[in-house]
Amino acid sequence: MSGYKKPLPEVTPWSQPFWSAAKEHRLVFQHCPSCELNILYPKLFCPNCYSSDLQWMDASGRGEVYTFSVIHLHPPSPFRDSLPYVVAIVQLDEGVQLMTNIVRCAPEDVKCGMSVVAEFDDVTDDFTLVNFRPAAM
Amino acid sequence: MDKSHRGEVAIVGIGEVPSGVYPDRPCLQSALESARDAIKDSGLPHDEIDVVIPAGTFYDPWYNTNMIFSQLVEELGLTGKAKMNLQVVAGGASSSAMMETAAGLVVTGKARAVLCVHAEKWGSMPNQEMYDKLATFGISPEWEAPYGLNMNAVAALITQRYAFETGTTTEQLASVCVALRKWAELNPNAMYQKPLTLEDVLRSKLVTSPLHAFECNRLADGGSAFVVTSAERAKSLDTVPVYLLGSGSVVTHYAISQETDMSRFGYTQAADEAFEAAGLGPEDIDIAEIYDSYPVFNLIALEQIGFCKRGEAGQFVMEGHTWPGGSLPMTTNGGMLSQGHTGTGGGIAVLVEAARQLMGKGGKRQVEGARFCVETATGGTYMDAHVSVFGREVP
Repeated sequence: MSGYKKPLPEVTPWSQPFWSAAKEHRLVFQHCPSCELNILYPKLFCPNCYSSDLQWMDASGRGEVYTFSVIHLHPPSPFRDSLPYVVAIVQLDEGVQLMTNIVRCAPEDVKCGMSVVAEFDDVTDDFTLVNFRPAAM
Repeated sequence: MDKSHRGEVAIVGIGEVPSGVYPDRPCLQSALESARDAIKDSGLPHDEIDVVIPAGTFYDPWYNTNMIFSQLVEELGLTGKAKMNLQVVAGGASSSAMMETAAGLVVTGKARAVLCVHAEKWGSMPNQEMYDKLATFGISPEWEAPYGLNMNAVAALITQRYAFETGTTTEQLASVCVALRKWAELNPNAMYQKPLTLEDVLRSKLVTSPLHAFECNRLADGGSAFVVTSAERAKSLDTVPVYLLGSGSVVTHYAISQETDMSRFGYTQAADEAFEAAGLGPEDIDIAEIYDSYPVFNLIALEQIGFCKRGEAGQFVMEGHTWPGGSLPMTTNGGMLSQGHTGTGGGIAVLVEAARQLMGKGGKRQVEGARFCVETATGGTYMDAHVSVFGREVP
């Protein structure tokens, strides 16, 4: 039994492949062959052309920090022992974006526009979260 | 509301109870007193209210289902008279969503008079319970909650990006809190009425960078209400009708991590639509009742609606132009940062303040001669932008 106390992702049938890939330390997104849209977070069908024929693609894992914040006070209860921590939105080179934590970096060194790469945190036997660290280390 | 319905409906009555921490005041009491005062203020016989719209309340799901299931109809003596009781909720944008729903019902003849009402009691909640609740609102349980996101951080992410793109300074952002407090000093219903300085804001603890404690709103207990009827019916009432002249809105995201234009959102599109319908422009506006909740939203709205050039709103506020006596009075009840954040009611209080000012009932903070007012709202993780134009006359 894992001692991990933070919330784990509530997975849907159509997002399960994302989490399965994360367990293998791969960051994936959906691609719609009929309208060429890259999609993240995973969708049941393409929100642009409504095609259900979506493909999973491996992302480069590279992107940049669109924005971030260092949380110092009043976090959700399970995060009280993790202060301070950095939440950030990262835009991937593939044009999609996601929420994440920036790790392996002093919080005061995080900047908008900073280049980052994905790294994987096996938080439980079942789940791996995708974090990002500075590309230049 | 588009041009073809300009000025066809009006707010004719408003009610509100003081915001703050009132553990001994039942939420139902806040709702009933606000509703009663709004109906009395309108001069309408109470049984002419044929639709009741309670906005969503978050502190207690049981209280909220009572609202959905017509408790107010019973308490207000409207059984057998009200045709419909329906909840309208768009988070912080419930103000605009209720107004638009009420206007549609009145214009189509489904309703003669609509009561829009809200009360909340989450200001009395223990702090950590509040922080935990605010880590669920509009936050994706799959993609965002695992990373420890909460509402303060949502606003901080937006503030960080806005400052990065526009060069707006920490001092300029903090000055919004000072400007809002200047108004709250004149508002007996405000939670915080003591003077606040720029130094107070900047010296307060860093909660989630770049936001300091005074830049984060405090949740409050409170209640407010307004009554909407047709301009035709309003003519025979002994009240100053506040006409809805135009409105516009757009939804830009659910999860904040999917928003791609965090320094603008949809305010320009919403404002263009509202001004087009009203036949007015930013230069005609006397008061900007902007939905705050955090300082950055006042600045974004000032710029995107057309009151200031991009990147100049911070300086505009810093120079005092939005203060009492300034050229563009802004959020004259003190906003959620000073009147207190009553959940979906934070925006409703801003809408009620717009009506109050145009009715000339602003008391010590009355903006003399105000004819036209812009009012904004946004809900969830700033998922939408609503802009409405109200007037005490139809241009």
